Amino acid sequence: MSGGTIFWGSRAVPFLTGESVASALGRAGVRSFGLGPTGTARAVFCGIGQCQNCLVSIEGRSAEACLTICRDGLHVLPEAEGLSDV
Amino acid sequence: MFNPEILIVGAGLAGVAAATELARAGHPVLIVDRAARAGGAIHRQPLPGQAGVATAAARWNRLIAEAEALPIRWAFETRFNGVDHQGTALLTGAENRMLRPKALILTTGAREAVRPRPGWTLPGVTTAGAAQIQLKTMGAAPQGRVVLAGSGPLLIALGAQMTRLKNPPVAIVEAGRPFAHPLTSLRLPLGYLREAAGYMATLLAARVPILTGTRLAAIRAEGETLVSTLTDGNTSREIVADMVCLHDGIRRNDIGLTDCPALSVLRLGDCAEALGARAALEAGRAGGRAMAQALATGTTPTAPNSPLLDRERAAQARLARIYAHDDFAALHSLPSDTVICRCEGRTLDDLRALGPAPRTRELRLLGRFGMGPCQGRFCGEWVARAISDTPQAPVPAHPLGEPRWPAAPIAVADLHAAAPDTGAAPPHPHGVHE
Ligand code: FES
Repeated sequence: MSGGTIFWGSRAVPFLTGESVASALGRAGVRSFGLGPTGTARAVFCGIGQCQNCLVSIEGRSAEACLTICRDGLHVLPEAEGLSDV
Repeated sequence: MFNPEILIVGAGLAGVAAATELARAGHPVLIVDRAARAGGAIHRQPLPGQAGVATAAARWNRLIAEAEALPIRWAFETRFNGVDHQGTALLTGAENRMLRPKALILTTGAREAVRPRPGWTLPGVTTAGAAQIQLKTMGAAPQGRVVLAGSGPLLIALGAQMTRLKNPPVAIVEAGRPFAHPLTSLRLPLGYLREAAGYMATLLAARVPILTGTRLAAIRAEGETLVSTLTDGNTSREIVADMVCLHDGIRRNDIGLTDCPALSVLRLGDCAEALGARAALEAGRAGGRAMAQALATGTTPTAPNSPLLDRERAAQARLARIYAHDDFAALHSLPSDTVICRCEGRTLDDLRALGPAPRTRELRLLGRFGMGPCQGRFCGEWVARAISDTPQAPVPAHPLGEPRWPAAPIAVADLHAAAPDTGAAPPHPHGVHE
């Protein structure tokens, strides 16, 4: 089975080809995705891009973890931390 | 001469069916979807190498084989952001551009309704649909102790699918009393009964507790576990789990999708009327033909209708009676700090502070309800019910006002990248194939 590794902060998280960031994080036991810029807790809710509750920072840009497909080496951070980085 | 495309948004049953009919009639078709593959929610495909768990896979396989033999252009991981008053559509993501389609077909499917409860914003609380999508893509049940709660046939279906994948839910909590209406149930179409009987046999054999007439009133976190309070009106009890999946019904997903005077726009499938998979396939095909006909004659396409759609409409109405409950009345007795708007953390208190009968304008500008990035998809219905004297009564489709453009928040960088359509190749062809 092919796949790769993404990074949740400094933690390496394996993924399967075609898997969403939310799914890879969830299977690695990460279900709380930290905080958004206004302090709301981020986590998967609707799973299909409608609620925006799973927003995280992916390579410095805010994106839905449930819609974004993993690519090898992708850097993912809680939204609040990722945005202050840019 | 440049022949503009017909843009179809959503590669589920309705979208792909409409695309095949239009392509067969000789129209160039571009079908976009935010997912990485076609399938939509019902026929969400497993990751490469994972076992599929889908029901009615033959229906999808037939349709997609037919579509792939036709000259349809697919753009996955691509988001449709709406269409302006001149008929210019903005796509972002893998295919990032503006285009002037010849016509627009929206097949964006359904969304779930989830009634607010204390604790529904905790990590580990998701919609039942989110868990089902995960199950279909991974070919595996969610791990740990899972409670399914709310109301509707999806709870039974998901419970049975999890059981077959060796992790039955610890309980199914159903606000209605679906087993108390055997006569109404028997008048459902045979396909519905067969499917339900299969699910029930699986659940009974695995001794999954199905608590009917029971509401999941509140959830609290204790360390990593989630403790849910269940009540049947007389007694209450607690149940411990790692994950809670909520579902209070299906609604059509058309929020944020405005009409456009400069363009023929047709909504097909669940986003027009939530009638399920059989109807979506039928409406997609009939709607595709209706659009082809309208373009040929320069007329406005009309929404499809057929005996099958009537039958599905009647079946859905019957299901609603079978699952009838008074759970929404609980909105009036929620603790005042219960979050109603998940996006901005606005509570029932914030809503009540707007006075006895706030107008839409006050709700939005003072209350900030429906102003967050979900555009009121998850709070609109509950705001309307909570301020109503009759929270059980039907609420309007867009209780917090008409949808606006764009359909979802867009990053400024994407806007810059989306050059006006010149007929040239899109700037980011990744994920697009012809
Ligand atoms: S979980 Fe709702 S948008 Fe991702």
